[in-house]
Amino acid sequence: MRDANGSSNEKLLIDIGSTYFKVSTKESIEQHFRDFNKQILDDLMHKCSDTVQRFESNDIHICSSANGGLSTLIIGLTHSYSLKYATNIAYNAGINVIESIIFQDIEDYSIPSDLIDVVIIVGGIDSNGGQFDERLDNYIAKLNYSNIVYVGNGPDAMAIASRVDKLLVLPNVIDDRLHIVETHLKEYLTNLYQQDIEGKEDIKDLYKITGNQIYSTPYVVNKSLPEINATFAVTDPFILLDIGGATTDVHYSKDLVRDNIVTEQGHDRIVFKKLGVFKSRESLIFTAEQNEFAYELLMHLKVTESIYKENSDRATKVIMQLAIFLVLCEMSHYRAANVTLKLLAMNSIVFTGGITKVLNVADIEDVVAFFYRKILNSDHKPACVVDTNYDIWTIGAKEYALCQ
Amino acid sequence: MKVVTGVIGNDIHVVANRLMDLSLNARGYEVFNLGVNTYLEEFFDAVVETGAEILLISSLNGEAEGWGREVKLLKAKYKTLDNLTMMIGGNLTVGSGNAEDIVPRYKNYGFDLVCHQVDLNTGLDMLENYIQEHKQA
Repeated sequence: MRDANGSSNEKLLIDIGSTYFKVSTKESIEQHFRDFNKQILDDLMHKCSDTVQRFESNDIHICSSANGGLSTLIIGLTHSYSLKYATNIAYNAGINVIESIIFQDIEDYSIPSDLIDVVIIVGGIDSNGGQFDERLDNYIAKLNYSNIVYVGNGPDAMAIASRVDKLLVLPNVIDDRLHIVETHLKEYLTNLYQQDIEGKEDIKDLYKITGNQIYSTPYVVNKSLPEINATFAVTDPFILLDIGGATTDVHYSKDLVRDNIVTEQGHDRIVFKKLGVFKSRESLIFTAEQNEFAYELLMHLKVTESIYKENSDRATKVIMQLAIFLVLCEMSHYRAANVTLKLLAMNSIVFTGGITKVLNVADIEDVVAFFYRKILNSDHKPACVVDTNYDIWTIGAKEYALCQ
Repeated sequence: MKVVTGVIGNDIHVVANRLMDLSLNARGYEVFNLGVNTYLEEFFDAVVETGAEILLISSLNGEAEGWGREVKLLKAKYKTLDNLTMMIGGNLTVGSGNAEDIVPRYKNYGFDLVCHQVDLNTGLDMLENYIQEHKQA
């Protein structure tokens, strides 16, 4: 059945991950392990050509997290305002923050050797100029970056723009009441991410089968969160853990943070770039080795550290349980990463991504209970909801499909 | 002049905070009110972001006591706060206490002006006098 635009009601939704790709139709959802010797499109058509060919290009909607996301380095004046606001906007735009620098101590920071996709400079309300001196120029001159954007106080903008090549100046992310202004930086970073996805040769190829824009997967997941109650028995506040092959995304209710950021958005996102169960397995194991409680978790699971070297179903299962434990640690007071969540106030944890194909609810509840006992000394038991059929992604993808 | 104000620590005395905001505005200050439940680092960070000349912290029932001890240590980490005027007011101890003991203690914590159980307008007059004196100096 087709509408006036020649588009049928049925949509084909495709998600390209770093390890798997998923193809969803009205009737079924398929998941395939990626063949890394093939281009994504070739691999997709090899495994699902019958399904793909049933649909018009306008009815095919694709999202991808396979590019690993963009990286940013943020230079700001304080942790509580400029850095916090810019970090929050970056994470919600799907960008990974690799370094946050307090300007007053900029000379003490080392220079990252990797190419940074975007450098963000932020700080001060508009009536508080004169914050950035030549120390900023000296630091930036040593950085290796692709884009640079200034979203700080107005008076400093012209001066910095005259000294730093290709500096894009956008309106301040801090208003005159010290509140966050997300719009401009978020739109800029979102477009940058979009361009990056489209620029990847592998992903570019996918435009041969779709007439729609290809979005990043974290956006699509984020889109589904307000609708999540309709499909799952989830009680606010909750977190959603998307543990994938390369990275782990956490989407959390804003009620779980003690925050001075006031926005209309009910959920924020944080990404752990090096916590994944396939491509990032080595760095996950490294993180586990640095965690004094991980050894106890292995004992609890009745295995030893030699499991790290194994390549078996049992090892995959343990690595996934370890990933859950480490991600919860990162968000608790124990590790105090960028965001510390009030985990004792959390009512539900929703699990999605590859781990739902390997772990059952009991496996997950076991490790969550271990975390609460060991790290938080509590018997608190949030409800564990497992999205075994990738419904979270399809809800979000349908939302996007409807918007297009 | 710019003033950063708010209620320190785990303290939700919002009425006093609102009155403080209104009074400061009425006296012509540019006010950045961080509200209740504000941590010490957030106060100093707000001063840096706004370029405020005055930090005015309020507290009730001794909540400030524990936080006050951290002031010097934390402030020393900032390189641009040397000229900041620091004031604290409210009920600065658990129970009643007396100003003779409490005022020197808080001055030792690093506050320039300490108003223990002093009414709002008297406290703000003290602030104005202090600013005038320091302008002349």
